[in-house]
Amino acid sequence: MFFLLSVSFVALSQNVLVKGNVTDDMGPLPGVNIMVVGTSQGTITDVDGNYSVEVPADGQLRFNFIGFESQLVSVDGRTEINVQLQEDVQALDEVVVVGYGQMKRSDLTGSVVSVSSDAIEETVSTSVEQVLQGRAAGVQVMQNSGTPGGGSSIRIRGISSLTSSTEPIFVIDGVIVDGSTGSNSENVLASINPNDIVSMDILKDASATAIYGSRAANGVVIINTKQGEKGKSFVSYSGYYGVQEMATKLDLLNLQQYAIHKNNRADAGIVTRDNNFIRPDLLGEGTDWQDELFTQASIQSHNLSVSGGGENNTYALAAGFLDQEGIAIGSGFTRYNLRGNFNADVNDWFRAGVNFALNNSEQQVTVEDANLIKVAMKQTPNVAVRNADGTFDGPDTDMYVQTNPVGLAMLRENENEKTGIRSNVFGEVKFMEGLTFKTEFASDLGMTNTYRFNPSYSFGAITNEVIESTRTKSYSKFYSWNNLVSFDRVFAEMHTIKVMLGHEMQKSQWEYLSGYRNGFVSNVGHDLNLGDATTSDAGSSSGGNSIMSYFGRTFYSFDDKYQLTATLRYDGSSRFGDGNKWGLFPSAAFGWKVSNESFMSGVSAINNLKLRLGYGAVGNANVRSDYAYTSMLAPVTTVFGTGLISENMANPELKWETTYSANIGLDLNMFNNRIQFIGDVYYKETQDLLLEVPLPAYMGVEGQGSVSPPFRNVGSLENKGVEATLSTINMDRGDFFWKTDLVFTLNRSKVLSMDTETSTIDKTIQEGSETTIVTRTAVDQPIGQFYGYKVIGRFNEATDFYYKDGSGNVQEVARPEGLDISETGVWIGDYIFKDINGDGMINESDRTYIGNPEPKFTFGVGNTFSYKGFDLNIFLNGFYGNDVINYQKRWLENPRENHNLYTSALDYARVEQIDPDGPVDIRNTHITGGDPMMPRLAASSSNANNRLSDRFVEDGSFIRIQDVSLSYTLPKDWISSVGVDVVKVYAKVKNAYTFTKYSGYDPEVGSYNQDALMTGIDNGRYPSPRIYTFGVNISF
Amino acid sequence: MAIAGLGISSCDDGFLEVSSNDTITLDNFFTSESDLRVATAGLYGKVWFDFNDKFYYALGDGRANNIFAPYSDYVYPFTNFTETSLTGPLVSAWGSFYNVIGQANNTINNIQASGSGVSEEAKKAALAEARFMRGTAYWYLASLWGNVPIIVDNAAIVNNPVVPTNPRNHVFEFAIRDLEFAAKHLPLEARQNGRLTQWSAYGMLARLYLSYAGLHNVDNRNGGIRDTEYLELAKKAAEKVCVESGLELNESYAELFTLDGNNDPESLFALQWVGGTTEYGITNTQQAYFAWSSEITGDDAAWGYYTFASWDMIREYDSRETVRLHSTFATYGAEYPEINQAAGGYLYEETDRANIKKGVVGSAKDTEGVVARMNSGLTTKMLRLAEVYLIYAEAILGNNASTTDATALEYFNKVRERAGMPSKSEITYEDIRYERRIELAMEGQYWYDLVRRSYYRQQEVLNYVNDAQDRAVQYEYDEATGTYIEGDENTAQQVATATAEDLLLPYPESELVQNPLLREDPVNYEFVEERINLFQ
Repeated sequence: MFFLLSVSFVALSQNVLVKGNVTDDMGPLPGVNIMVVGTSQGTITDVDGNYSVEVPADGQLRFNFIGFESQLVSVDGRTEINVQLQEDVQALDEVVVVGYGQMKRSDLTGSVVSVSSDAIEETVSTSVEQVLQGRAAGVQVMQNSGTPGGGSSIRIRGISSLTSSTEPIFVIDGVIVDGSTGSNSENVLASINPNDIVSMDILKDASATAIYGSRAANGVVIINTKQGEKGKSFVSYSGYYGVQEMATKLDLLNLQQYAIHKNNRADAGIVTRDNNFIRPDLLGEGTDWQDELFTQASIQSHNLSVSGGGENNTYALAAGFLDQEGIAIGSGFTRYNLRGNFNADVNDWFRAGVNFALNNSEQQVTVEDANLIKVAMKQTPNVAVRNADGTFDGPDTDMYVQTNPVGLAMLRENENEKTGIRSNVFGEVKFMEGLTFKTEFASDLGMTNTYRFNPSYSFGAITNEVIESTRTKSYSKFYSWNNLVSFDRVFAEMHTIKVMLGHEMQKSQWEYLSGYRNGFVSNVGHDLNLGDATTSDAGSSSGGNSIMSYFGRTFYSFDDKYQLTATLRYDGSSRFGDGNKWGLFPSAAFGWKVSNESFMSGVSAINNLKLRLGYGAVGNANVRSDYAYTSMLAPVTTVFGTGLISENMANPELKWETTYSANIGLDLNMFNNRIQFIGDVYYKETQDLLLEVPLPAYMGVEGQGSVSPPFRNVGSLENKGVEATLSTINMDRGDFFWKTDLVFTLNRSKVLSMDTETSTIDKTIQEGSETTIVTRTAVDQPIGQFYGYKVIGRFNEATDFYYKDGSGNVQEVARPEGLDISETGVWIGDYIFKDINGDGMINESDRTYIGNPEPKFTFGVGNTFSYKGFDLNIFLNGFYGNDVINYQKRWLENPRENHNLYTSALDYARVEQIDPDGPVDIRNTHITGGDPMMPRLAASSSNANNRLSDRFVEDGSFIRIQDVSLSYTLPKDWISSVGVDVVKVYAKVKNAYTFTKYSGYDPEVGSYNQDALMTGIDNGRYPSPRIYTFGVNISF
Repeated sequence: MAIAGLGISSCDDGFLEVSSNDTITLDNFFTSESDLRVATAGLYGKVWFDFNDKFYYALGDGRANNIFAPYSDYVYPFTNFTETSLTGPLVSAWGSFYNVIGQANNTINNIQASGSGVSEEAKKAALAEARFMRGTAYWYLASLWGNVPIIVDNAAIVNNPVVPTNPRNHVFEFAIRDLEFAAKHLPLEARQNGRLTQWSAYGMLARLYLSYAGLHNVDNRNGGIRDTEYLELAKKAAEKVCVESGLELNESYAELFTLDGNNDPESLFALQWVGGTTEYGITNTQQAYFAWSSEITGDDAAWGYYTFASWDMIREYDSRETVRLHSTFATYGAEYPEINQAAGGYLYEETDRANIKKGVVGSAKDTEGVVARMNSGLTTKMLRLAEVYLIYAEAILGNNASTTDATALEYFNKVRERAGMPSKSEITYEDIRYERRIELAMEGQYWYDLVRRSYYRQQEVLNYVNDAQDRAVQYEYDEATGTYIEGDENTAQQVATATAEDLLLPYPESELVQNPLLREDPVNYEFVEERINLFQ
């Protein structure tokens, strides 16, 4: 302590004024940051690169400038110090992970976008894909459910398949993981701890993805986890604790409003009068079911890691824990991760390594599986949650009422537990300089147990006596083995050649076992052995597929100006029959580094300018069935024993689906890399779509006991788009640093052809016994558009029922088929639907496209501000021009319905007789109040005002303050004395605020069960929580 | 390296063959007679599921105004003639009939292609089973939609499924050919209880002949005359069953509709559902839609409170109809000791409705675990001996206004006597109509009776449904008289006026979109098979 004081005393007494000039090889450098080492004092260079600063005579100066190597200069009593900074090749040339290898970014000819672990630090992400949201151009991520551990839909450059998966593959430390689950609550990526990740690289165009040929049609996300570094060892802890809450609450009727409205409905003859509601003014608020189902919930995460390395080896070990309660009762997610890797240089020519990751997670999905959010919105405020004795209450009848969602959420067991072990091991032999052989074996084992138990209960009049339990176990095994030979050489200083040849085998297998019993004696024990053995039901199934591949890649660069990458992959899949198993997928890309041309040498503002051009093909073998090429018989349980019925229509001709894509890209770095821009324009056409041919039902393909239609290679679709990434350093002055990242994505999809001109793919939602077509996909149209009626107005007065046609004749405005003008037919206050086909009546043929869930564009804007040890990051995510169906509004805003309603339903059209004693006639009827676009409240629902129409389609555009994080890194000199390297404390808010016109919980709806054709339909989606966290990172 | 590469590529073929363990490929099946039985077993249940689930009663009884369900979107559109090409049960029934047809076609084609190891006789018996199912499904289609595409080989048209419809008469004749083949080749006695016999086929043929008698050589839909050739065929086919089969009516009407009555000898064809399971697709879900309280089912699947007998149905019952009413509809004061046995039985006390009893058997506890959630375990009656008796009488009545034919009276009165009703000495069409409606209520038949009548007395049928039936009228139990009295009109839904077009259903929407030919005129079907003369 005394020593420190005396040094500073001495230093203070011997300050000198140092002047000088900072240049690079092109000339003076303005804006260079100069710091006096050990203090917070400093300066920057002026426009001519000159500076002056006071320094202790024996002090040191640090010269910092973005894109240049930092320099440390001892003053040694000098008063003039001129410095020439060297370009930091490393910074510009970050290493990008490409398929089966790495490349310098400056050598890339394809379209690859990278997201670093910095982004993970800025956000509260429980799953990795959440980090990508808005941070990677060309990548559109939407969470399909806000339930903890829930799934997302990830689309890289649009939708490139109609009936197969549209999710990309993930290559995690060399293990290929398929991102598709087909479920809202399941998420393959939820098993990965985002904290373990060091980089994510997204391969987008064919020239980048072709090396993954067979599985790359939807893009590839390569994820690498943290590895140790030689010579340094660290122990780090990071953890946070947070609180989650509902971001928005919807306005539903309280008891008084509900009672008044029920009385009005009784007046209208819809229901019988409720004697409890004779004096609504005496009633209170009643039960707020939103408040009862949703609650504040905690989230916490803890991660501990050790990494390091000696001269010949590196290692990393990590353990992680996440516990996220759901904001809805009956949901939650807990995850444990263990991870370790070890790499060793065995000798000069042999390297080997191993990587292990174990995960275990438990997820509660009662709310999601039983649609309890919808139930909570519909349950009426006159029903209590609990009886006086604490048991659950319910409605006093069991007809046309809702169950008790809180009771079900708390009593039912509906959980899953997943355990996975991902591992790989490799050995690499270096034969000579530039020639290596690498062999790598990777595997991914997964086990899933699900536990469902439905107890006996009675919620008022709703009772359940049958106690049932279901247990399932599934096991999956994936392994791959690849062998690569790489050759990497520079000839005559101008010709760089990199050649890679490889072979790979991949195999996936899965099995499933389930058991069921009912007749349990009590609700206490849930295992099957406590159930009635005579009710046992067991089943199992299994499947598998394999891929064999040969591939190669050549990179050639001439004089660091002209670059060519050519890739060829030859894949065989077990999913196709003999003669069609193999597919060939070539690609080529060309890069021109314009900035390295001599004619550019005078343009000092441009550091890097590169044009990229690529074209190639990738395949898709994701037929939903592993055996679509042959005829299968499916077992069916009958009273006569097992019967067999046809399962599918075979297509022995089935072959690869192929996506051809062209890409033009531009990389531009300006003003000493203070501005970095990457832009791409692409066109993708998917041909020979693997389509489960939409067949008419008379082919025996709909419903129970049907045959699944054949998969055929029919039709094609296109995706085209523009994407851009712009990073700017807006300010870098002294202690203050401000950086902006902007990501822009635009994609348009369209079906080009299908098996017949009239073929359509319709997707339906079943609600009760009503099955409604919600989207239609057809030739020449974007994918998965909403389909329904158009409301063009409301019958407000008698004259609205008639119009004059071109020749002056009075015609009747089209009404639903078979309905007359009457109170029980069509009446004042009913909607006027558009007569699309002009046949004078409204029927199914008058449905049309009423909305498109595809956004016109999406964007992300991140701003980082740093001052001394403080970092503030604000990240916005936005969607523009996408439509969302607020599906529950069909019932929750229908004033006739018997369940609870949005308060907006009370604004129904008030229809009255003009002369109360006059006749019941449209000429004697008018509207006296209510919302101008709400229908009437009537005994008859003949006009079906709540049929699926554009009334329920809303603008889903939004801008969301997705992440705000504020962190403070403690100064080194405070903590180094206790042996700690880094201490960072932070506070973050996720999903802070959403600017939107959408009236439901959340405009980010995603896709129903990841089905790209069911995007943007909000049917009681679990809302994403707002999360506040406080955390700390410590490293020593 | 090179060696390793070679080694790998030589095992490519093996690596890329992944065989299935949870399904069977067609190539290694249909090699024995037991395989044939396995192949036809699947045609009795699951393929009919979507038909049985709602359409069976929603159309058969709902459209005929036997039942009224003002708040159910699966019954009222049919009752009110406001169904559309999107109405759920309509779409699923169409799909279900064609699933029966498609699976039967595949079975037929697979059997025909099957090789040695199977005798011709066994093949024919199995073909007969499949053709019975297919013929029955085509009869439903012809009755409901009229002109429909006749599909015989699904695989053959999969690449171009846009095919024209065939005329209604041809669909009838196609169905008749299937059933004639079945009548010739089905066994006299079922190998397993519940499987089809020759009598099943003759009985079904009797129904088809009788229906077709109103169409064959009949151009005037209001002529009131049926084709005598087909009336004669109907009579002969019915006679086979009535006289030669040796089958008798069960003495107890009530027992037929209990679990003990499943596959009673009186049942000629019933859909076979698997009891004690909740596996969707192989269960009889009807109880869940009929049961009016979870006291009955013991679980929450009891959605039938607002699905009950129509006013027109209730008033149709003769005051002496205690047996059949009690088994078909629950009326005020009715006791059902077999339901909710733990509480000592069930007493029905609703006064403003009469809920549906046929198809309701109780909870899992009441039935030793046969009932499960959304599964009554009951078979679905498709054809009963009693109906064949009535067909026999109707065929003898023929084009006459009434008959005193001794045979007709014998069988007609057997049905009445079993129900505790006095015999008749003369029969008119009205007698038969009443008898069929009451005897077969909630067995999905009455609408087809009306359709059959409309082939030659269309206006009479339209007047009946529009004017006589008082659709949407409510009623109430009157304690003073112990009867039900008429109430107000229910205003929840508008009842449309039925026109001749409403005697057929619209094609499902998705079919029209995918096959514009459905809007075009039908194209004659080219029959390649000779008719079998069963009655030489």
